[in-house]
Amino acid sequence: MEIAESIVHDESRQRAEEEALAALVDQYATTLYRVAFSVLRNQSDAEDAVQEAFLRVLRHRETLGEIRDHRVWLIRIVWNIVLDRKRRAKTRPETDDISDLARVLPAIGLTSEDRAAAAQHHAHVLACVERLPDREREVMVLSAFEELSSVEIAAVLGVTESSVRSRLFRARNLLAELLNHKRSSR
Amino acid sequence: MSYSSHNDFNRNAGAMEAEETLRLIATLPAPDGIEERVKAGLRSAPRQGVVIGWPLAASYRNGWIHGSAMRAAAAAAIVIVVAGGGWEVYSHIRVAAAPAAQAVPQPISGHSGLSTAGTMRVPQTLEGPVVAAPVIAKPKTNAYPVVARGKTPSRRKPAGAVQAQP
Repeated sequence: MEIAESIVHDESRQRAEEEALAALVDQYATTLYRVAFSVLRNQSDAEDAVQEAFLRVLRHRETLGEIRDHRVWLIRIVWNIVLDRKRRAKTRPETDDISDLARVLPAIGLTSEDRAAAAQHHAHVLACVERLPDREREVMVLSAFEELSSVEIAAVLGVTESSVRSRLFRARNLLAELLNHKRSSR
Repeated sequence: MSYSSHNDFNRNAGAMEAEETLRLIATLPAPDGIEERVKAGLRSAPRQGVVIGWPLAASYRNGWIHGSAMRAAAAAAIVIVVAGGGWEVYSHIRVAAAPAAQAVPQPISGHSGLSTAGTMRVPQTLEGPVVAAPVIAKPKTNAYPVVARGKTPSRRKPAGAVQAQP
C-alpha cells in the first residue's frame, strides 16, 4: 500500500517538475537565446547553448524550488555555457563576416546599399568590442540587455554592483578610444 | 567648446555608437519554434541515472523503503564476510607456546660488598693437559727493535739488538 502511494507521489512530483520546466522554457527560451547570440553571434550555436542550459536545469530540477530569481539564474547558466564554448572554439563569431551580419540585422526601409553600409559599420564596432579585455567586454555585452539591471548583471557575473559600474565605465572609455583610433587611421 | 569637452563628446559618441550596435544585436528576435525544439530535446534527454540498479528495487519502482533495506542487508553481508575472513586468518595463526623453564645464568655473588654491575658468571673451562717435555724457546730475530710506547725507534741501533722485555 505504501509502495503504491509512493509511486503515485513520485509520478505526480515528476509531472509537476516537467510542467515547471516547460513553463521556464516558454518564458525564458527567447531571452536566453538572445544572450547566447550576443556572445556567439551564430544562430545554431546560440540555440544549442539554450538547449544545453535547459538540460542542465533538467539534471538539477530538484533545486528549482530553492531558486529565488529564475531569470537571472538561467541567464547565468547560459552565460557560463556560451563563455565556455567561445573559449574552447577560439574562433571569430560568424557575423564578423559582413554579409552574415547584414542577413541577421533588421533591414526595414533600407536600400541594399544602406543595408551593406550599416552592416559594415556594425561589424567594425563589434570588432572593436572583441578587442576589449574580457571583463569589460562581458559587462558591455550584458549591459546592452535593457531588461537586466546592474544588480542583475552583477549576479550573473558573480561580482559586486560597484565593480560592474567601474568595468562599464572603463569599457566605454576603451571602446571610444578604439573607435576613434580606427577612424583616424582610415 | 574647449578641446577637452570636444574630446569627451567624441568619446561619448563612440561609446554610444558601440552600445547602440550591441543593443541591436541583443534585441534580435529568436528563431521561430525555439521553445518547441528545446522541449523536444528535453523529452528525449535521458533521465538522471540510477547508481546501482538492484533487481528487486526495479520491480518495486523507486520503493525507497525496500531500497534502503537492500542496502542495509548488503552492508551487513559485507561486514560478515570481512569479519569472517579476519577470524579465519586469526584462527590459523599458531603462536609458539612459552617454554616451561628458562635457563638464566647465575649472577656473580658479590663477596666484596661491591655491585656486580650485571656481570654474569662464565663457566670455567677444563684445564688442559700438562706437557711433560720442556719447551725449547727459539731465539727471536726481530727486524725492528722493540721500543717503549710513544717513542720512535732509533735507526742508529744495530738490527740484531734486542731489548729486555719486562
